[in-house]
Amino acid sequence: MKLPKEKYGKRLTYSDYIYNFFATITGLTIFNIEFAKQAFLPPYEISEIKKHMVELGVKTFGIVSITGFIIGLVLTMQSQPVMLKFGAGDFLPGMVAISVVRELGPVITALIFAGRVSSGIGAEIGSMRVTEQIDAMEVTAVNPFKYLVVTRVIATTMILPILSVYVNVIAIFGGFIAVTISDGMNFRYYIDSVINSIEFGDLIPGIAKTFVFGYIVGLVGSYKGYTTEGGTEGVGRASTTSVVLSSLLILIFDMILVKISLWLWPTLG
Amino acid sequence: MVMADSRIVKIENLTKRFETFTVLENISIDVTHGENLIVFGRSGQGKSVLLKCIIGLMEPDAGSIFINDKNILKSSLKEINEIRKNIGFLFQSSALYDSMTVRENLAFPLKRHFTEMSSGQIDEKVRYTLELVSLEEAIDKMPSELSGGMKKRIGLARSIITDPELMLYDEPTTGLDPITSKEISELILNLQKKLKMTSIVVTHDLICAEIIADRAIFLKNAKIAYEGTIKALTDSNDPFLKNFFSHEIVKA
Repeated sequence: MKLPKEKYGKRLTYSDYIYNFFATITGLTIFNIEFAKQAFLPPYEISEIKKHMVELGVKTFGIVSITGFIIGLVLTMQSQPVMLKFGAGDFLPGMVAISVVRELGPVITALIFAGRVSSGIGAEIGSMRVTEQIDAMEVTAVNPFKYLVVTRVIATTMILPILSVYVNVIAIFGGFIAVTISDGMNFRYYIDSVINSIEFGDLIPGIAKTFVFGYIVGLVGSYKGYTTEGGTEGVGRASTTSVVLSSLLILIFDMILVKISLWLWPTLG
Repeated sequence: MVMADSRIVKIENLTKRFETFTVLENISIDVTHGENLIVFGRSGQGKSVLLKCIIGLMEPDAGSIFINDKNILKSSLKEINEIRKNIGFLFQSSALYDSMTVRENLAFPLKRHFTEMSSGQIDEKVRYTLELVSLEEAIDKMPSELSGGMKKRIGLARSIITDPELMLYDEPTTGLDPITSKEISELILNLQKKLKMTSIVVTHDLICAEIIADRAIFLKNAKIAYEGTIKALTDSNDPFLKNFFSHEIVKA
């Protein structure tokens, strides 16, 4: 696998930035193809995948819990006056649930996950690259792409949907706390309203896109780490650019996937 | 003339360029079974590049590299990996896996290549190899808890744990104090004798070379400029060699 080299330095010209943009796109595409080729070949490194899933889950559990709760709480607090003004207070639980399940839960979780995990993967693999640990793996006839990249990408792809569903639940609970404080709404009534307003078509696209977001986070972090050059400065750059690029790609793919889901489930519109 | 069957490494007309800069040009080297070859040269003269070409980490622009009569440049990745199982490589930085303990570092190649070994047998082999490098007590330490000399020893232990036939050393004593440097050199020689390995050692360290070497080559301007025993090289009247080795002796 030959990956294009990006240009670094203090005096980059506009043409260098344009070159780097296309080098990244090309590199990610090659990396993607290599992943598709190697993911289905043995050895499957199941124990490594499990280890990464647990590590990533534990690493992000706290922050996504707090974020999910606050999103649900704030969304409800912000929407409640408007809904009440139009006499639609009864629809508030449903509105919060649909907003969270369709869009806010998956996207916010993915962005936080990108910030926490993609940078970590970029820095970890990047430091392994600059300290020759990846070369050491290669000379012992172990495939470093398989061991380091494939396992992490599978782990991020599998763990993000689980985190996202968890964040949805926490955010809906946050919404309940907000309406209880202001209105004293009954928990049973709130949950019934939530369940009655969410349809199958709301749940599936929201969960499905988190698989894509998880894949993006793992792939971008691994790519930036794997192609690190320039010592510790390069490791820092890999970590930062992993977050920026994966967050950007998450938002771009969100736009595309929303369009696709509206095409597949026209009733969502 | 060297008999074909006694050569473990045969390099023919090897050329490696980085863009317009030629690092190695038409290099030919033979290394026989059980021999210790030292590769000298100033910084940036392609010594490490030569080792990386031999192990297949870098692809040369021209030439052939035979290891036990198999041309690695015409081999598939699968075939190269089979050849690599028989080669140990000690990196300049030791390249220990940061996230693993010493035990896990050593067990890593065994678990992957000797799948028939039980965890008890792997543990036994790890302990035996640590004993060879006199670091049994470091078994549960993380690489960050080790000194530079200890890292080299553990790196060496990881390289020899699969009982390779050929060992490649990239500056094994760089960054170490003279006493540790001498200890590591003696350890390399003892292991080579005990395990009957062939070694190619890239170094600047004359003491290390004097302890280990059967033969030495000197890379200069992308070519092998001098070849012979260490004594022949250090006793040479060539002004360049005199200058190089006098600096090494002063440093040592």
